[in-house]
Amino acid sequence: MSIQQPEGILCSKSHEWVLDEGDTYKIGLTDYAVEQLGDIVFVELPEVESEFAKGEVFATIESVKAASEIYMPIGGKIVEVNEELINSPELINENVWEKGWLVKVQSDTFAQDSLGLLEYEDYKEEVA
Amino acid sequence: MKKTFLYDEHIALGAKMVEFGGWQMPVQYKSILDEHKNVRQNVGIFDVSHMGQVFVSGDGALDFLQKILPQDVSKFSLNHAHYCQLPYLNGTLVDDLIIYKLENEYLIIVNASRREADLDWFRQNSKGFSVKIEDKSDEFSMIALQGPKAHCVIEKAGIEENNQPKFFMINKTKLFGFEVYLCRTGYTGEDGFEIICKNSDVVEIWRKLLESGKEFSITPVGLGARDTLRLEAALCLYGSDINEHTTPIEAGLGWSVPKDKKEDYNGKEVILGQKNGEVPLTKKLFAFEMTDKAIARHGADVYIEGKKCGCVTSGSISPTLDKNIGLCLISFEGDCKNLATSLNTKEKSIGTAIQIMVRNKLYNAKIVKKPFVEKKYVK
Repeated sequence: MSIQQPEGILCSKSHEWVLDEGDTYKIGLTDYAVEQLGDIVFVELPEVESEFAKGEVFATIESVKAASEIYMPIGGKIVEVNEELINSPELINENVWEKGWLVKVQSDTFAQDSLGLLEYEDYKEEVA
Repeated sequence: MKKTFLYDEHIALGAKMVEFGGWQMPVQYKSILDEHKNVRQNVGIFDVSHMGQVFVSGDGALDFLQKILPQDVSKFSLNHAHYCQLPYLNGTLVDDLIIYKLENEYLIIVNASRREADLDWFRQNSKGFSVKIEDKSDEFSMIALQGPKAHCVIEKAGIEENNQPKFFMINKTKLFGFEVYLCRTGYTGEDGFEIICKNSDVVEIWRKLLESGKEFSITPVGLGARDTLRLEAALCLYGSDINEHTTPIEAGLGWSVPKDKKEDYNGKEVILGQKNGEVPLTKKLFAFEMTDKAIARHGADVYIEGKKCGCVTSGSISPTLDKNIGLCLISFEGDCKNLATSLNTKEKSIGTAIQIMVRNKLYNAKIVKKPFVEKKYVK
């Protein structure tokens, strides 16, 4: 996990990150969350086209020990899921910022939903 | 919360600590999966100092143990270990135990979370027996060394193969100059040892074993991998798979209960009755493997032919098999009465389709034989 986090990500206190990629927003788990979870062995991702409000559970990630629900850091419609994770959930451990992303969404509510999110440095301080 | 004498070692090794049975224990050092695999391939070292040590001695020790255990203690041989259960009067379990027969006493290893309950039960049952019950759990620490190369580490530590205890036996010996009980036992399904030593010696023994084990790729292993290892070997965990509501026969431990023990013992009517088929089972523990992609966890409901008939007692991925596995307790009562006949033999039960509720969805699984991964004990 030596790879740097992408420039400009915003993090939720429930340990998800969002990256504005222009047309879509990419969502993943923070390095801190992944370190707490340990080896990730199973990922359940939502259907493409499904819609979620900010704070809703959209995915489940299982470590050896337990299942954890993952919450939407912003509201939106799922336009793509990271299919590679289905057979290789360990990508989240190996490369959380690039190969380990979870979903891409379209969001009309980003402006207001992102108000409560933190910049990475502030997030790190908050959880440390 | 209690700390073992190895607490600082765990922190120095980067362990993540969790609460277990009232103790702060390492759940993992670097990776549960890597630790698990290293025990199957090489050797791992575990701190199991949370386990308790109770010594039973005196003229009445044999009669006392005969009264409280389904096992026939008169047949225990010197320096041998025995897997035993401690039943209440109705046959359900106070705890499960490993008992070593030593020269003048019996050494009983109890589960950390059951130490007080066990001691209460021992004391209640000891009335009228000339027996001394000594809880020395606070004097001793315990290290497990498990895996196909565990014996190499012990050899490197100065105890040659010929002088190592054989499978399920115990030696009182010296390790690195310290007095220890060296036992060829464990909780992983692999060959290996458990070392019981004085608290004051445990840090040095731990460090020296790590040093001796270097060339055999030894790694420290936390409770996370201990749990997946024991589950693959289908070894029951008290508090999850067995508890004060399960009898040894319901838990599939009938192999350890003799049919011909003459002495009366607590719970005999139920336990022996269930073993002989005279007392019907109301539930039974089965092993399952997921056929759909989902991980069943402790507490998940189990369905058979559309009816809720039980729950998962342990569930995880199997790092060795790369499958999702578990144990579940199936009821033979009420709506599930017919299962008492359809699942009453191993042959009939294996392959039976079951469904498990995970996050409000049913996933397919099937009953399989135990253990999931063959035990590799060196006998």
